Amino acid sequence: MVGAFEQALLAAMIFVIMLGMGASLTPRDFWLALKRPQGLIIGVVSQYGFMPFIGFAMAVTLDLPEPIAIGLLIVSCMPGGTTSNIFTYFSKGNLALSVLMTVTSTVFGVVLIPIVLLIYASALDLTIPRENIIATLVVLLIPVAIGMTLRKLNANIGAVTEFMGSALALFFIAFIAISWVPRNWQFLLDTTPATYFAAIMLGVFGIVIGYAFARILRLHPRNARTVALETGIQNAPLAIAIIALTFSGEEQQGIIAVGALYSLFIVITSTIVTLIFRRANTAAEQKLPDSLL
Amino acid sequence: MEDAARPWRAFYGPHVRPEIEAASHRTLPDLIGGVAETYRSAPAFTCVLPNGMNGTLSFAQVDEMSDALAIYLREVAGLGAGDRVAVQMPNALGFPVAAFAVFKAGCVLVNVNPLYTAEEMAKQFEDAEPHALIIIDMYADKVPIATRGHPIPNIIVTRVAEFFPSMPRGIVGLVQKYWDKSVAPIELPHIRLPDAIAAGRAHRARDHVEVSDYSAHLEPDDIAVLQYTGGTTGVSKGAMLSHKNLILNMEQTFELVEGLEKGKEIALTALPLYHIFAFTVNLLGFWALGGRNLLIPNPRPLGNLRRAFENYRITWMSGVNTLFNGLANEVWFLDTPPRHLKFASAGGMALQAAVAERWEEITGKPLLQGYGLTETAPVLTFNPLGKTRAGSIGVPVPSTEIVCLDEAGHPVPQGEAGEIAARGPQVMKGYWRRPDETAKVMRGDWFLTGDIGVMDADGYIRIVDRKKDMVVVSGFNVYPNEIEDCLVTHPGVLEAAVIGVPDDASGEAVKAFIVAHDTGLTQADIRAHCKEHLTAYKIPKTVEFRDALPKSNVGKILRKDLRAAELARTAAE
Repeated sequence: MVGAFEQALLAAMIFVIMLGMGASLTPRDFWLALKRPQGLIIGVVSQYGFMPFIGFAMAVTLDLPEPIAIGLLIVSCMPGGTTSNIFTYFSKGNLALSVLMTVTSTVFGVVLIPIVLLIYASALDLTIPRENIIATLVVLLIPVAIGMTLRKLNANIGAVTEFMGSALALFFIAFIAISWVPRNWQFLLDTTPATYFAAIMLGVFGIVIGYAFARILRLHPRNARTVALETGIQNAPLAIAIIALTFSGEEQQGIIAVGALYSLFIVITSTIVTLIFRRANTAAEQKLPDSLL
Repeated sequence: MEDAARPWRAFYGPHVRPEIEAASHRTLPDLIGGVAETYRSAPAFTCVLPNGMNGTLSFAQVDEMSDALAIYLREVAGLGAGDRVAVQMPNALGFPVAAFAVFKAGCVLVNVNPLYTAEEMAKQFEDAEPHALIIIDMYADKVPIATRGHPIPNIIVTRVAEFFPSMPRGIVGLVQKYWDKSVAPIELPHIRLPDAIAAGRAHRARDHVEVSDYSAHLEPDDIAVLQYTGGTTGVSKGAMLSHKNLILNMEQTFELVEGLEKGKEIALTALPLYHIFAFTVNLLGFWALGGRNLLIPNPRPLGNLRRAFENYRITWMSGVNTLFNGLANEVWFLDTPPRHLKFASAGGMALQAAVAERWEEITGKPLLQGYGLTETAPVLTFNPLGKTRAGSIGVPVPSTEIVCLDEAGHPVPQGEAGEIAARGPQVMKGYWRRPDETAKVMRGDWFLTGDIGVMDADGYIRIVDRKKDMVVVSGFNVYPNEIEDCLVTHPGVLEAAVIGVPDDASGEAVKAFIVAHDTGLTQADIRAHCKEHLTAYKIPKTVEFRDALPKSNVGKILRKDLRAAELARTAAE
């Protein structure tokens, strides 16, 4: 589906984007998120509690071909993806919390992914590619650390890096959405409405339920928005890698389809949600006198 | 006056001079140059944008650039000594360069609020008659209309990211031009600030002019700044502040402030420098102290201050009640209160005791309230560190006398309310070309503030209210501040304003305007809350809930606007 060159290019883009994200953070942000770990715990529960269940519920209730149902289940059991950090940044959420949630769910994923898959699809025997998990962490943490260091060394270099990273992130989101369609045109035509529904609603339900859960547990709206995006946005490339390693041939193509379809629609869903969150954030801002203080 | 009449001196620390006989420098150019000699390459000003992009000028750079700009003003623009120069910009690196250049050129600075409408600008220009205008590009589109009545021959344009490193400057420029669309094309002939500075440098190299010649003739009593104010009568007029007014007021204020170290402090300047409070305390005060000023062009929304708090070890900040209250309600500020802050100073408007308390709880550092007016450059009183008294504006600063006067102009018995009158080296020379207005506020060398205050036996002063805001309910004096203070202690109330409205039964009745946190709040809730804390005649008879209250550009709630709207409404009924 995606060639080696494109994969390397995407990884490089993610690296630069995360460099920019990192430049918007300070160690104190991480320390604060760790000091009050409620958000983190809620995030992990939401990630491995609700998402697999949503995937399972849809796999059971919808009239899906078996490979699609398996693919859906696998995607729903994935940890949070790097994209969630980008959308959290743009939705003015708690980026440090988002990064920590991605890291936590990825690390725990090594143990939790097989467990939840065992619960919901008892017979599955999957290969979890550790190198992909490590690669995810590296592409996430190293640029974030470098970005924070740049900012610490020179606030201007940090701010410029952040600006460049976020500009590239906007391009990246548009690039994924636009380049995906022509590459998978035939596939889009062949896909059934039930599959579309599952691929789109997995993200939507994840975001809505993640938000509601966090709010019920009285997380600050900003953190709740972060949990919502983190829950709904899965590490789809990891799902695709797992499927590619585990299955082969015709079967692989069918299972992998959901992951690909999800990757497209989650970008669209998250963009809309981000715009809503930004609006909510502005509405919650304190109203100060019209002119300067 | 004898020492017995100045009991507040007992609260001065051991190192405080009760009388400042002479200022450290005769004129502002002396002060500016002298300080720059001492601190040379240390950072003097850093302009911090909401995204963290910043630009810094050292003491030597500001000194050299303002020299060059002064030469430009005199030699190229052809200004003479005493000519007015209007400076209209938010906090940015161009501000200190422009203001200091005006002083060095022997000219008079006219601070103009950048958010003024073209009509408001026109009024001020017609009154001050400036020969040059140094303005930010964002608002330069208003200049053609604003200068119709009084054409200004020299227009110098600056920008927010002026003197930033080229990369952030370019990005900020592009964002402002294509994203915010906040920079409009300028139709009048003008020169860019860096070009004007370059022209001044070229002139200096060619003709060997000495900048100090421009200010050599200056006397301490010469006018340095025309600072416009509505004053007590509401008519906009320029308070003439001399070099001595400003230098001494800065020294009087800092004399009472202990614990600041020369060359080591970092001040957050979120208040606009065109306002006299930030001008004297932050711009001049921290320059003299060798401190670093963090200039915030726009503190709205308050999230714009976050990067400044994160990236710099802020040791001092000055603000107004609105700013402190706002920060105390920001989640990020509560999460990461500044760790290096020594204390903060509040002025410009009454500091509410609840806000001060909450601030000190969050930061663990005192919030010191001072008091003053544009006409007094501005500081008259300040709370000495470690001896703050809640709800008090503190004690008179050194070399300042304060008395409370009755309607007839006689001192009131100690402990009773009267109009605050002040005498000291910070009192202005008068209003620019307005002897009539000057006569209304000066009694000999005493300045009448229009504020009603009470002085305790030991010299601490409380402001009861503005003279003109007092409400008389059936012969009882009601001071809106007291009622507002009570209202904002109700957890559902965000902001409150109280005015007097005509009432058949009581002559005047108290009316409260409230911005509520929660929408379920009713008039009955408010009145019940007041009943617990206030005498019957002080309880608001009517309560009106609003989304916002009218405020001035320094965040003061404008009771006069509420009153005018209320009178218009009753007249219409």
